[in-house]
Amino acid sequence: MKHLLLRLEPLIWLLFGLGILVGTMLLTGWLLVFAVAAPLGMLPAGALAFDRIHEFAANPIGRLLLLALIALPLWKGAHHLRTLSIDFGGVSRDPAVALLLYGIALLGSALGVLAVIRL
Amino acid sequence: MTRPAHPHAMQPSRAGRTRTAPPLLPDRFPFQGRYLAYTLFDLTGVVYLIMGFVVLRVVWALGDGPQAWQAARDSMASPLGIALHGIALVSVCFVGVRFFRLFPKAQPPRIGPVKPPPRPVIYAMLYLVWIGVIFGFMVIINGGFVG
Amino acid sequence: MSTAPKKTLVVTRFDPDRDAAPRTQRYEIPVQTDWMVLDALNYIKDEVDGTLSHRWSCRMAVCGSCGMMVNGEPRLTCKDPLRQYGETVTVAPLANFPVVRDLVIEMDGFMEKLKSVKPWILRAKELAVEAGPVRQSPEQLEEFKQFSLCINCMLCYAACPVVSNEPDFLGPAAIALGHRYNLDSRDEGASVRNQIFRGEGTVFSCSYANECSEVCPKHVDPAAAVNQAKFNALIDWAKGLVLPRGRQEQP
Repeated sequence: MKHLLLRLEPLIWLLFGLGILVGTMLLTGWLLVFAVAAPLGMLPAGALAFDRIHEFAANPIGRLLLLALIALPLWKGAHHLRTLSIDFGGVSRDPAVALLLYGIALLGSALGVLAVIRL
Repeated sequence: MTRPAHPHAMQPSRAGRTRTAPPLLPDRFPFQGRYLAYTLFDLTGVVYLIMGFVVLRVVWALGDGPQAWQAARDSMASPLGIALHGIALVSVCFVGVRFFRLFPKAQPPRIGPVKPPPRPVIYAMLYLVWIGVIFGFMVIINGGFVG
Repeated sequence: MSTAPKKTLVVTRFDPDRDAAPRTQRYEIPVQTDWMVLDALNYIKDEVDGTLSHRWSCRMAVCGSCGMMVNGEPRLTCKDPLRQYGETVTVAPLANFPVVRDLVIEMDGFMEKLKSVKPWILRAKELAVEAGPVRQSPEQLEEFKQFSLCINCMLCYAACPVVSNEPDFLGPAAIALGHRYNLDSRDEGASVRNQIFRGEGTVFSCSYANECSEVCPKHVDPAAAVNQAKFNALIDWAKGLVLPRGRQEQP
């Protein structure tokens, strides 16, 4: 497992890097909509209506954007939690922790693919 | 005295001639001084993991139809939903600022024959793109804010 | 009676023949305003307690010998003014290292990590002397010069949380040195070093604490080197997926 992790490390780092860079930017947009604009009533009427949002989301660009919004934060989160585990003395349990966390990220990403396909 | 580091931290492959005392962690690790920001940076992993699944749930609901979509919207507009999103917003801003400070110096001096732009330019470009993405979101939800 | 101001140094002591574990010893000494922490330690050794052991040499921050934890921060004691501290100053051996005695740490582990990145010019074929000197422009020098300024003081290792918790991690100085050679226009060993960077001591273990660069007394910015090395190691890994190793000429 440790050897497999070492071989996949560059790919995991790439996903983590994209998660932190692209995921952060995309999530900020999402959060400004749902944490600030929507609760404060700053959105135009019907802005979040089902038909409008679904039409955009079902567009190829929309699907890609939403997949990125789901998957990239997951890989960033998983990798950082693995780091946290090691920081608190967990290097011996690292293979198991990594398997669990990256497994969760992989599952979430796969479900994300399903979610955007079935739009 | 601080807490012990990993017992084999910086240990040579062969033992020296005398007994050594085990290595200790840096004094302020993990919750004091600059290390606090570092630990919080790692902790934002929890927020990102949760948000990934929140978005997944919302997109899944979008695929289920208008009623499920409305239920997802209501859930996000609930006090818990707003609090979660608010905490997440603070977290992503913290991550963005911290990571963007590091990003320019993480670029190699040359990628093949191509030199990256100077570091201040990369730094400015990151923020411009960030603002651009936010602007893009506003455009997507029909022209941005009311009033 | 001396009217010189006094400070108390709380110094870690450890004698493996006598002590089960490190302990501290307090020394109240007269100090001078222009002293560095090292001057105080040398005063203790010369005038108060000759059994105190600590490493030092150049007294001008080029040899890297005198690194210690001063009030919990890794510092070069020869360039750390005593006057910035209050009446009590704690001096301890560098964090993350096994302690040989008092303020002296075991540095063989560090030397092994340094050597493991092959910190010398690697070429597939050595040039003949008759070919003359290798030319390197100022621009080419600038690409790696910063990373060549390391004095091996190990403060970065004392500050790095990954070094604390992952014994295999190569560490900031070793990676910076390997990266320095990867960037050197005379070197052809990048693919060899990138494989080392993706091995047991993986550069990808670095978790962006940036503490190494915060404490570096020579402004080497090892965090920059490590993160640049990650990018290059990624490219090397991707190339390896497409182009089998055997087809690449290696030193």
